[in-house]
Amino acid sequence: MNRFAEWLSTTAPSVYIQNHNDWIIPLIQSIHIVGIAVVLGSVLMINLRILGWAGMDQTLRQTSNRFAPWVTSALYLLLATGILMVIGEPVRELVTFSFWLKMFLVALSTVIAVNFQRKLRADRQPIKWLALATFLIWACIIILGRLIAYDHVWGSWSPATKA
Amino acid sequence: MNIAAFLKALEATGLATKIRDSLFIFPLLEATHVIGLALVFGTIAIIDLRLIGLASSQRSFKRMYSDILKWTWTAFVLTGLTGALMFITNATVYYHNFYFRTKMLLLVLAGINMGVFELTLGRKVDSWDKAPSAPPLGRVVGVLSIALWIAVIFMGRLIGFTTTRAAVVAPPSNNVNFDDFLNTPGPPPAPPKK
Repeated sequence: MNRFAEWLSTTAPSVYIQNHNDWIIPLIQSIHIVGIAVVLGSVLMINLRILGWAGMDQTLRQTSNRFAPWVTSALYLLLATGILMVIGEPVRELVTFSFWLKMFLVALSTVIAVNFQRKLRADRQPIKWLALATFLIWACIIILGRLIAYDHVWGSWSPATKA
Repeated sequence: MNIAAFLKALEATGLATKIRDSLFIFPLLEATHVIGLALVFGTIAIIDLRLIGLASSQRSFKRMYSDILKWTWTAFVLTGLTGALMFITNATVYYHNFYFRTKMLLLVLAGINMGVFELTLGRKVDSWDKAPSAPPLGRVVGVLSIALWIAVIFMGRLIGFTTTRAAVVAPPSNNVNFDDFLNTPGPPPAPPKK
């Protein structure tokens, strides 16, 4: 991974971002945060509806139809801006413990979301504690995203401290 | 007390020192700030899109507003609190930072925008509650709100790139890190003095 990251940092798109990093990186990161906001706000609304704490004038299906497409679109935006950040700063992103734990949690929350949609189509009741867990997973994803910049907090778990 | 002395006093507080000296606290404050602002913008955007008429058009505005806004305000308090804690660690630098000042100005404008809405259309919400979009003024408020909050997010990220804290790479050695949670026997560290 280290060698891949170093190779990636010599490619033309990476070099371009590195040479313009005073505005490209903050711009991409800000768009990434806007995407996070759309995901978290939408996930909150769906989960509050599952728990019965908000949006009770709507059915769960109506709530899901309103917010799930926004989650999906925002996830594509996050993927695109995320890839650009990896291209721009490969070593800083890929040679970290936070990044890979974050990717695992993103995969986990995607599995939960797909499973939820399947349940909804089959008219089965969603699991309430999973709604709470999903929200906490998203909070952890955001925390880990920020910790990529501070990976040394993981001590010997961080490949960055060995490099 | 003049402002320079006040900022210095903030930086000298025990709380600010504690945050500066910790390897964990500042990153976790930043992360919590992001969670808070994501909830603020994420929920406000739902209201704004309803005002504009782009989403949730079939729902009662009043119902949505009372349902969602309490979460927005809770998240706003969380964001403000974590923001204030980050501010005191390096108050003088933040205070003089162009992007910090612009962000504060944009926050005030977002507040005024919301106030205008509350004092005009908010007062007679029953007359348009079921309409698929708000009257023209409400649509303007919605568009302005989304634009202002996105600008706030951009300014916030630029603060991190233009203040010293972001440029400091904390030395990995001789600092407390995650290993100490796992390996260190003995009593936990004393709670911070308030």
